[in-house]
Amino acid sequence: MDLFVVGGGPAGLSAAGEAARHGLRVVLVDERVTLGGQIYRQPGPGFVVRDARRVGRDYQRGVALVDAALRAGAELRCRTSVLSLRGTTAACLTEGRGHVTLIRARRVLVAPGASDRPVPFPGWTLPGVVTAGGAQALVKASRVAPGSRLVFAGSGPLALAFPAQLRHLGVHVVLALEAGPMPRVRHLARILAAGWGNAALLRDALSYRAQLVEARVPLRYARAVVRAEGEDRVEAVVHAAVDADWRVIPGTEERLDADTLCVGYGFVPSTELLRLAGCRFTYDEDLGGLVVEVDAWQRTSAEGVSAAGDGTGVRGAPAALGQGRLAALGAAADLGAITQARADELARPVRRRLAAKERFRRALLPLYAVGAGIYELASPETVVCRCEEVTLARLEEVMEATLDVDAVKSYTRAGMGLCQGRNCQRQVSALLTRRRGPSTYAAPSLSVTAGSAVALSEEQLATLAGTTPRPPVRPAPIGVLADDSVPDQGLFVGG
Amino acid sequence: MLLPRRQDLAGDVPTDSDVVIVGGGLAGCALAYFLAVAGVEVVLLERAELNREASGTNAGSFHFQIAIHQLTGAGWDADRARLLDDVRFLSRAASMWMDLERELRADLGVHVTGGLMVAETPEQLDILVQKQRVEREGGLETEVLTGAGLRTFAPYLAEDLVGATYCPSEGYANPLVTAPAFAARAIEAGAAVRTHVPVWEVERLEDHSGGSRFVVRHARGALRARRVVNAAGAWAPDLARANGLKLPLHAEGLHVNVTEPRARLLHPVVQHIGRRLTLKQSANGTFIIGGGWPARAEPWPARYSIRWTSMTGNAAVARRVVPALADVRVIHTWAGVWAGSEDLLPVVGESARLPGYFTFVVPTGFTLGPLMASLLAEQMTLSATTRVPLEYSPDRAPVFAGGARRAVPG
Ligand SMILES: Cc1cc2nc3c(=O)[nH]c(=O)nc-3n(C[C@H](O)[C@H](O)[C@H](O)COP(=O)(O)OP(=O)(O)OC[C@H]3O[C@@H](n4cnc5c(N)ncnc54)[C@H](O)[C@@H]3O)c2cc1C
Ligand SMILES: Cc1cc2nc3c(=O)[nH]c(=O)nc-3n(C[C@H](O)[C@H](O)[C@H](O)COP(=O)(O)OP(=O)(O)OC[C@H]3O[C@@H](n4cnc5c(N)ncnc54)[C@H](O)[C@@H]3O)c2cc1C
Repeated sequence: MDLFVVGGGPAGLSAAGEAARHGLRVVLVDERVTLGGQIYRQPGPGFVVRDARRVGRDYQRGVALVDAALRAGAELRCRTSVLSLRGTTAACLTEGRGHVTLIRARRVLVAPGASDRPVPFPGWTLPGVVTAGGAQALVKASRVAPGSRLVFAGSGPLALAFPAQLRHLGVHVVLALEAGPMPRVRHLARILAAGWGNAALLRDALSYRAQLVEARVPLRYARAVVRAEGEDRVEAVVHAAVDADWRVIPGTEERLDADTLCVGYGFVPSTELLRLAGCRFTYDEDLGGLVVEVDAWQRTSAEGVSAAGDGTGVRGAPAALGQGRLAALGAAADLGAITQARADELARPVRRRLAAKERFRRALLPLYAVGAGIYELASPETVVCRCEEVTLARLEEVMEATLDVDAVKSYTRAGMGLCQGRNCQRQVSALLTRRRGPSTYAAPSLSVTAGSAVALSEEQLATLAGTTPRPPVRPAPIGVLADDSVPDQGLFVGG
Repeated sequence: MLLPRRQDLAGDVPTDSDVVIVGGGLAGCALAYFLAVAGVEVVLLERAELNREASGTNAGSFHFQIAIHQLTGAGWDADRARLLDDVRFLSRAASMWMDLERELRADLGVHVTGGLMVAETPEQLDILVQKQRVEREGGLETEVLTGAGLRTFAPYLAEDLVGATYCPSEGYANPLVTAPAFAARAIEAGAAVRTHVPVWEVERLEDHSGGSRFVVRHARGALRARRVVNAAGAWAPDLARANGLKLPLHAEGLHVNVTEPRARLLHPVVQHIGRRLTLKQSANGTFIIGGGWPARAEPWPARYSIRWTSMTGNAAVARRVVPALADVRVIHTWAGVWAGSEDLLPVVGESARLPGYFTFVVPTGFTLGPLMASLLAEQMTLSATTRVPLEYSPDRAPVFAGGARRAVPG
């Protein structure tokens, strides 16, 4: 096989199609039941639900991508998760099969997407607190609207979209909070200047805003949730004004009755497989944190491994499509299926579009740059690691003994549970880096001048990533992993 | 949880000490503790954080039963005397662990659950029966279980396993907190423990008129010492080589699988007499499964990486012995670096060629580390009632001639 693609979202699908068109033998796998990734999977009350036409549009795009890939000859497999990646060999597990399959390819493209950025605050573990992604999944799976009085708190261009969409489903959105500043004329001027080539993105943003206004959902800027209150589930939400770094301004707290709190502070790239493959990373909070280093053809520092889409920094679906194509063209050229000149020529318009998207993203940064205050909301009793039930107080106590990320983990067990640190690691590393002081770590770009990635030393990477990457990256039953053909020499190793 | 405080580990490094210990694993920390409470001036230097190598990455099981690697193959009669010595140490280690939480005034997560060693074949069962006799004689309580007795006692074991020995004093403790607790109490007793101070070399002084025989050169300067203890675990041979010592030790990466937590299925620690398996269900319900499967070496400070076949091979043995594990999901794996000796015996004592230079590396070091530390400390303070056996000498030739057989615990 020439190209093995992990992830059937926009990035993976566009890459699979493009590569197969140039004659590469391509296999794509996705662990979900359907292809399309976050945005293009099945119709329904998905990401853009203003009217059926819009839902249809995203769905149609997904169908078109899948069709194009299949027509070009790519093989697409659902319900197949990749458990490990070493070199260009991947260990795959297909649901319902009793064993793991090893797939060897000349090139691997990792396009695993992103997940909700976890933000611990007092009450974040109460039933009734949902993440934006979780709320969408719930709505999609059960068609049940989460709660009857919903507060949305978050930031980013999508943060506008969620309340608008939920509203549309009949959810009573009582308040939407954006942690970033109210757009000013200078912001808008910058955004409009970058808007050239991004009309669709601009139109979407404006329409979400208009929908909220139309539905009379109050949208308040520079405010963040500080706490969810309730006995057995959310009964009230306390929010407060925040400064430019999203730090709470004392005395500005307000309390509002609600039964659901939906939190959407953006997304973080899925990096497990890329870390297992040994790729180099940089750090950019606004792209989601750890960001794999890629070259102009989306190749990582690991031989034969490329990456594309949100998994390389959260930029949204249009960028994911473009990056997927670049990765495919790069692989096709590397493997001799097309000439370098042909690859350059085909890539040119793609690069132009990506550059326009990037301009737009940067223009929006002053509004949505993630503030450090977001990781300072937890109180001593707040459970930071939900799997192992580790409170902030416990973490702080142990940080009197050590500031080493591994040691903190081993003393507290934070990050050792089922989610393997996906929910608590960012908070733990924020606590560590704050204590170490700015001199000993490259301050992650938690600032308005963001957009400039910080190169990471091994130690910084370890602190920010927390866990040593280990297979399997998805839980896998012992009976499925078990391989009786592996020789067991017993306790004696012949010498 | 009893942990040393950050500021206590970060102070200046003294320039002079009676004893300098290199290595802050369980061996080094426990020895520092026993020396300090005996009033000896001691400095411990660790290149990174305390307890981040073998001592903090092991499975935490107590292995008190005689393991197959303790047999030389020369027959029970030939091995008997030595095995009896081993058993006496092992049962002393068992009593010491029973008392350790009290001694250190710390929760070390000690769980005495009992331990099973299973046999798959009649030949293996025969070894179990023989070894159990020696254990009895040496004062370690064990019993042989077969047939219906075994089924009733351990219904979770595969039905076709022919037998097992059971040792009620086996169990496990929490390796993540044990060495740090020793370090905290050592500091209380006056030891200087310093982290992030790699030792580059131990230089022997020709002129000991000042009392010092060595200069320990480290990342932050130099430290004169009367005695040096090399407790650098898998890296001990590297340090010793510069002094012309060839320790009978090698580094090996060992693999461990961790599963999601499940309702209580089994209490005892389970191992296999003839295959690579140790497994237990820890207090929080997760299964910790190892047994000596290899991991891929990486240059320090990178962590050893995982061999896929170790995960899948180890899983196969686990399922073979406890079939109900088949649907339990592995959520994580890890690898630790183990210092093994060819004959699996501890490497403990002073080198005749380099008076004042001690080595302290124990292969089943979680089980035996605290006991050996207390014995070595007694020897170093000349208060010993039990001598560390000469067979443990770092100068020894391996017991197994030619080192033809090598064994690994887990
Ligand atoms: C909750 C959420 C809501 C969003 N809403 C919008 C919106 O309204 N409008 C908009 O423009 N953009 C939205 N986005 C962003 C958009 O979905 C992404 O930018 C886009 O989907 C990125 O494409 P991708 O191919 O990189 O990743 P994805 O679309 O996320 O696809 C990645 C795929 O990889 C698979 N995968 C991951 N790891 C493995 C593994 N180990 N083994 C097998 N398969 C694996 C996943 O199952 C997934 O299907 C949203 C994103 C999220 C997370
Ligand atoms: C995966 C695994 C599972 C195991 N399971 C068990 C078990 O269940 N039961 C059991 O009894 N045993 C078990 N063992 C064995 C046991 O863990 C070890 O025997 C024991 O921890 C050794 O302790 P140590 O202090 O000698 O070595 P280590 O803990 O490795 O400590 C050595 C220390 O020396 C430091 N160091 C090295 N060089 C220098 C230098 N130049 N300067 C300063 N510092 C230096 C290192 O950083 C390290 O901290 C297992 C081992 C492994 C790897």
